[in-house]
Amino acid sequence: VIYDIRHVTTYSYESPVGFARCSLRLEPRSGDGQQLVSHAVEIRPRPAERTVRHDFFGTHTESVLIETAHRNLRIDSRSRVSVLRRAPDRAAPSPAWESVRDVAFEATSLGPASPIGYVFASPLVPVQQPVTLYAALSFPPARGILAGALDLMHRIRTEFKYDPKATVISTPLDEVFEKRHGVCQDFAHVMIAGLRGLGLPAAYVSGYLRTIPPPGKPRLQGADATHAWVSLWCGEEIGWIGFDPTNDILVENDHIVLAVGRDFSDVSPVDGIIVGSRRQKLAVAVDVLLVE
Amino acid sequence: MAGDAGQGNGQGSSQPSKARPGNRRVAQWTRGYARLPGIPDEYMAQDGTPRAVWTRFFDAFAELTPGDIERRFGSADRHLREAGVTYRAPGETAERHWPLSHLPLLIDEADWQQLTAGIVQRAELLELVLSDLYGEGRLIAENAVPAAAIAGSTEYLRAVCGIKPPGGRYLNMYAADVGRGPDGRWWVLGDRTQSPSGAGYALENRLVLSQAFTTLYKSMNVERVAPFFEAFRDALRASSDRDEPRIGLLTPGSFSETYFEHATLARYLGFLLVEGDDLAVSGDRIHIRTVAGLKRLDVLLRRVDSNSLDPLELDASSQLGVPGLIDVLRKNGVVVANMPGSGVMEARALLGFLPSLSRRFFGEDLKMPHIATWWCGQKSAREEVLSRLDEVAIEGAYGRGVPGFGRGPVLASELSASERERLKSAINDRGIDYVGQELVRLSTTPVWDQGRITPRPFVLRVFAAATPGGWTIMPGGFCRIADQPDARAVSMGDGARAADVWVVSDKAVSTATLLPTGDSVRIRRIAGWVPSRAADNLFWLGRYLERAEATLRLLRALGTQRESGKGSSTALHSVERIQRLLVTWGATSQATRAQPAKVAAEALQSQEKFGSALSLLRSAQRTATSLRERLSPDAWQVITEMTERLAEEVDDDDGVVVAAELTLQELASFAGLAQENMNRAAGWRFLEMGRRAERAINTVRFARQFAYDEAGSEDLDILLTLVDCQITYRSRYLVGPLLPPVRDLVVLDPYNPRSVAFQVSALNDHIASLPTLKEGGLIERPQRLAVALQATLTTAEAADLDTKSLFALEQDLLNLADAIGSHYFPHGPNASRPEKLTGLA
Repeated sequence: VIYDIRHVTTYSYESPVGFARCSLRLEPRSGDGQQLVSHAVEIRPRPAERTVRHDFFGTHTESVLIETAHRNLRIDSRSRVSVLRRAPDRAAPSPAWESVRDVAFEATSLGPASPIGYVFASPLVPVQQPVTLYAALSFPPARGILAGALDLMHRIRTEFKYDPKATVISTPLDEVFEKRHGVCQDFAHVMIAGLRGLGLPAAYVSGYLRTIPPPGKPRLQGADATHAWVSLWCGEEIGWIGFDPTNDILVENDHIVLAVGRDFSDVSPVDGIIVGSRRQKLAVAVDVLLVE
Repeated sequence: MAGDAGQGNGQGSSQPSKARPGNRRVAQWTRGYARLPGIPDEYMAQDGTPRAVWTRFFDAFAELTPGDIERRFGSADRHLREAGVTYRAPGETAERHWPLSHLPLLIDEADWQQLTAGIVQRAELLELVLSDLYGEGRLIAENAVPAAAIAGSTEYLRAVCGIKPPGGRYLNMYAADVGRGPDGRWWVLGDRTQSPSGAGYALENRLVLSQAFTTLYKSMNVERVAPFFEAFRDALRASSDRDEPRIGLLTPGSFSETYFEHATLARYLGFLLVEGDDLAVSGDRIHIRTVAGLKRLDVLLRRVDSNSLDPLELDASSQLGVPGLIDVLRKNGVVVANMPGSGVMEARALLGFLPSLSRRFFGEDLKMPHIATWWCGQKSAREEVLSRLDEVAIEGAYGRGVPGFGRGPVLASELSASERERLKSAINDRGIDYVGQELVRLSTTPVWDQGRITPRPFVLRVFAAATPGGWTIMPGGFCRIADQPDARAVSMGDGARAADVWVVSDKAVSTATLLPTGDSVRIRRIAGWVPSRAADNLFWLGRYLERAEATLRLLRALGTQRESGKGSSTALHSVERIQRLLVTWGATSQATRAQPAKVAAEALQSQEKFGSALSLLRSAQRTATSLRERLSPDAWQVITEMTERLAEEVDDDDGVVVAAELTLQELASFAGLAQENMNRAAGWRFLEMGRRAERAINTVRFARQFAYDEAGSEDLDILLTLVDCQITYRSRYLVGPLLPPVRDLVVLDPYNPRSVAFQVSALNDHIASLPTLKEGGLIERPQRLAVALQATLTTAEAADLDTKSLFALEQDLLNLADAIGSHYFPHGPNASRPEKLTGLA
């Protein structure tokens, strides 16, 4: 499948901003059944400096410096990505979750793909007992990790309310958990927190969903904005599997991966510092079109 | 035990060998001194005899009379209080004075040598481990260190991985908390690799104690600590690729627990004390905002934790850092000491691996042991801990408390049966989060308690600085002593005391400094431009003090006026005008005006009124707190004392006038100190500008109020008193006060140091001496306003002045003060702070 993705981020400020330094993580990654065909980002006002590097997680990160006074900052990202993933078998046998945990704890790498980086609390995902106990219900002793995670994902989808107005980016996890509502980001964070509490390696994935569903299928939640889901390490053999708790599905060909990290703070697509206006408005528009 | 080999005067025994009165007193002090059961002690060696170094100390101490001793203890305490040596307990806003234990901790040289050998080895080991972790990663790949033992630490900074530390190393300063283990040998209780605090307090404690006991200090051959700081400073200097680098000490700000120390160190080492806001990234380098624009900063000694250093790449909510700092490190643009991410070595999980790492890197065992620690991420260690659960303390593996159990250490023996089970299953399920540690009871050192010594637990922090020639250890350190005989841990928050640490030599110590020779130093007169924030604070310090002075003068005039003119209607009228000014200035409230007796008292020391003399002095003091490294101890002391005195209760009207008088004198003495002691190249100009601007504004306001168009001689008389011009006026004019000559003297006379014209001319001189920022060759706004004002005042004639023109003059002066603020302190309180882009994008 080939997608054309348009992702436009616009900040509007109440008073002129004379300086901005931003990090952009807008280039979809290649690998894991996905190939970047083309990518371009247009920024207005024109930056004084643009430098590119790959961060610790391998994400293409562009640092941008703007020194022109402006009231609107518009970041227009266009990507073409081809996706071809093997459909995961929901019923496939998988190792007992405890054994996955034990293997992960013994990892001998600190690299971005090593499971050990994803079993501890991270800036936005604390490991807290209530969430751990919640997750533990899906993981009775010796249950296969895939079955356990599918069950946990399903419970989150059914027991939490999807409500775009309920949370802002800074809503802490315990509040989301207690009130049982939120958006894709919160669903992902809750599932990650529960898995990590059990010692299971869970990463946060940011990306896109195709906007118009295949004929006969419902439109997925989160399709007109950036989306977020969970990647769970299921042992050496199976590796990383994507779980989308917002839609209760496994990641296949409708998902396009932008970046992977420990939580939102590692992958935030547009992040930065401005000097100037106290009040700002943010608008994000995402369009994911099926080319073929 | 090393060091007990009968050296010095004491001959290893406290038994009086001759019947000297001193010996009897030593016996009195030490009678009944007993080690706590099973705990090693500094005074009393393992065999129950006093260590020689202490005997020598007490023999010398006994030369002092009892009265003398108490006097010197008192003077040490006073010095600490007056120097404003403070710390802030976590969660408190008020600064506390530093409690100093009056006896130093004594360590003899041989013993010390052994200790330092262990510290040097450990510092080097930690440096090697850090550079592998963030660099090649062989230790992890070869499983010499489990990945989980690193990954769990919030101080393991992924953003820093692969960056070669500019300056070539991770640790520039390392500290270890040490005590004596059960066998009497020194052992390590914890490592400090993030940004060790305490060195500045150690310095201050040394200053105080060595001054209080000069002769004793000299006779004991105490190793000096100054060379350590010199070596550290030179090493930081050498770490930069610039010949004369600009070095900043990055502090979280004056609310930080250890702000006093940051200021002390910055002043002592000659570094600029900076906050994140003072710094900006530009062109791959870090710059400091100064009154002369951005200036390159080469080295940053940080006292801000790693994660707060850069909101762009690390903790996004941090207001303490510099956006883009990590990227500058990536581009080799600044040396940061210690390198961000160094704190990962503080994790307890790593302790158990250090012995084998020492053998791996050095081919030798650790010279100094540390508390036995079992990381439960490994099966055998976990089983060991679970099988001996009651004999160990459970701690968090990475220093964030004990996950699920709050603050550590957790003792299983103190838990309920169900909590105990919870602990066990937590360790079984997520062993990587926990360590078991041998139960530690701290060793003890004597403290002075009303003419007797008694043992108290202590922790000694030893500091090591990396220099091009290897690690240098501070001979001495920062010692904290618990006030309870049984302590598992000592933190300064809970009633502990600090003590100076004397490393005592048998031979006279060298007093030569390590200062470079005269020819190698380039003579300089200007220390570099003042950071904008410091200039801003100095400007406001000047303004607050001057406003306090004006308020006090009004108060004093109010007192004498009510006294002299009881009943007379013109006097009542003048009283009314003084009160009106006090209300406008926020020194007293409208409501109080009905009770004139209360006005003065309120304007003097009301806590609620922002314009009362006391409130203004408190504002001045608060501002001065942020300027600690730039004020002399004397100047700081004057501000503190006068604020404290003014806060004391005053009973009657006379008391108000007396208090006002006294404070005015103290303000004059501060002004004198600033005039005589502050270097003209540094911040002095800004203090002066603040004072001059405020005085000009206040004087015009006085003139408007008392030299209005219809003013009578009583009003003019008050004005002359307020601006201190009675004598000058009388010497010039043989008539009583008349409007034109008074206006001339107070507003226009350029020779009168209290006139408006004099202040404006001084402001002009200061502005002309300051650097111009680039504005395309145009005259800058402060100068434009000041020059215009001076021209107006120079050419004006007294006969042309009226209430209206005085009002216009006041507005011009206010504009000038604002222009100075926004021009030289563009990131002052009015400026915009960096805001974070928010939202789910």
